[in-house]
Amino acid sequence: MTQMKCISCGMPMTKAEDHAKGDPALDYCFHCARPDGSMNSYEEALKGMTGFITKTQGLDDAAAQDAARAMMANLPAWKDR
Amino acid sequence: MAATRQKQKEQTRSRLLRCAFELFSSHGITTTKTVDVAREAGVSHGTVFVHFPTRDDLVAAVISEYTARIVRRIHELVESGATLQAVLAAHLEGLSEHEAFYTRLITEGPILPPIARTTLIGIQSAISYHLAEAVEKEMTRGSIRNIPIHLLFNTWIGLVHHYLCNRDLFAPGQSVLKRRGQELIVHYIGLLSPTDNKEEGS
Repeated sequence: MTQMKCISCGMPMTKAEDHAKGDPALDYCFHCARPDGSMNSYEEALKGMTGFITKTQGLDDAAAQDAARAMMANLPAWKDR
Repeated sequence: MAATRQKQKEQTRSRLLRCAFELFSSHGITTTKTVDVAREAGVSHGTVFVHFPTRDDLVAAVISEYTARIVRRIHELVESGATLQAVLAAHLEGLSEHEAFYTRLITEGPILPPIARTTLIGIQSAISYHLAEAVEKEMTRGSIRNIPIHLLFNTWIGLVHHYLCNRDLFAPGQSVLKRRGQELIVHYIGLLSPTDNKEEGS
């Protein structure tokens, strides 16, 4: 069991399979990995997180994108942008 | 010596966070003053601002710390392949461990710093995702009505939040989630069933 949080989306990663490529050494999750295993870009992550919020909670698209931007601003991968 | 000072600084910060969390839970987030937090933590008022430049920074840090614990706990409780009932039970258990604080968060949300609302949106998406995972197979089999994920989740969270916001009426002096949680789970699962017309609550 690991105690990390994805640096890109903030998802808790408690099991090896939560990490990209199932590798506990990687600090981003499988949702934030491209097919080749590399981490998503900011734009890809923003699009993914906005879609995730819309699908899971039904928020307005613009409100969901604002929320996604605000969340990402506090995540290690994007806070210096 | 520098290491000791750093350790003391971290301990003071942790104590401030814990005391603020306890006061927010018992007295409210918007009504708790920084001077109350300092008194509870046994430090000078100025010390609070050494660690948190503004009151909003303290509020944001407490919300971030304790909501992360809630999400992590729920994530741990929900195993891969968990049933709908198990996910709902894990959600309520995770919330009940910080029930008073979470209730303050949802009742005071609109007047808190923006991070509070953003954080809540993050929690809700995580729960909704686990819910969706659990019902996907059951929807395909037809044992649960085919309902869009956001409505499935919003129906559940609306129910839970109504009981939390009125916890003094539904379970005075107790945890409303512990006292009424099972009833809510049974009722909610019944709503999703295409054929279940049995009476509840008797």
